[in-house]
Amino acid sequence: MALILVTDDSFFQRKIITSVLAEEGHDLMEATNGREALLIAERKNPDLILLDLLMPDMDGFQFLEAAREKKISAPVIVLTSDIQDTTKGMCLKLGAAGFVNKPVEKEKLLPVINRVLSE
Amino acid sequence: MPEDIKSEDIDAIKEILNIGIGRSAQMLNCFTKSHITLSIPEVRIFDTENLKKGNEKYLDEESAAVRLEFMGIFSGITAVAFPKDSVAKLVMAMTGEAAGTPELDSLRIETLKEVGNIIINGVMGSISNILKTHLNYAIPYYEEGSIIDMIKAEKKIYDNKVLMAMACFTIKDLNVEGNIFMLLELGSLEILIENINKI
Repeated sequence: MALILVTDDSFFQRKIITSVLAEEGHDLMEATNGREALLIAERKNPDLILLDLLMPDMDGFQFLEAAREKKISAPVIVLTSDIQDTTKGMCLKLGAAGFVNKPVEKEKLLPVINRVLSE
Repeated sequence: MPEDIKSEDIDAIKEILNIGIGRSAQMLNCFTKSHITLSIPEVRIFDTENLKKGNEKYLDEESAAVRLEFMGIFSGITAVAFPKDSVAKLVMAMTGEAAGTPELDSLRIETLKEVGNIIINGVMGSISNILKTHLNYAIPYYEEGSIIDMIKAEKKIYDNKVLMAMACFTIKDLNVEGNIFMLLELGSLEILIENINKI
């Protein structure tokens, strides 16, 4: 089981994501924007970070850049409604280990999480 | 914005919007587990000065809307509006909360923002992918009022004339209706058509 940081400004999305992950027995932490996620990642060293893109204060792209600069070792899976191919490309270029589109589907999300955690 | 927009250009915009809305319906279907019925998209040019209440139900209707501003080779706003009587049904179905509870009220905006965001991203993401371009999005914004008031509020950005492409959808099992609107900024229409013609 892994320690996973769920980063999304939407309470509604965090509720859906955490309920899926809690069922799998993972330990969870939550952040509401990139800045908060960065602080938690530095202090708690999670095994995995789930990251929304459009967030106030620090968005997902800025988080990916900052995480690279600060050498955060946890892999990041981007979880977004943005289905643009270019967005996916930008995230992977910035170091994201996975890219999953919302709406969150257990059958789509869990295989990506398992793959990233096993790498 | 040209008023003598050619019928083949209108068709091209409808077609590309249709693909985007189809993708949104697929996402919404997955989210709600209910069949989504779509209307044929409609493309119109409005003069906001002459836009008055009392002419068309869907423009007058008090709605809860989520809108997202997009910027790229063409710019504008896409919004999803739910008539008030559909809002409670949608939020109850999405959250499992009962009618009239304080929890339902507090989840209303959050839920609509997320559902709206998924629909809008389906439309705009598909269009962007087809045109092989990239659009930057602002954070989705929630508002309440009539569609006419919302369009008029954009007057500063759009001058007096706006191109509006819209389509209606129904989430069948939930008996929820909604409208998707795309408002295009001045000058963006020609760029959009030019890019559609390059496909």
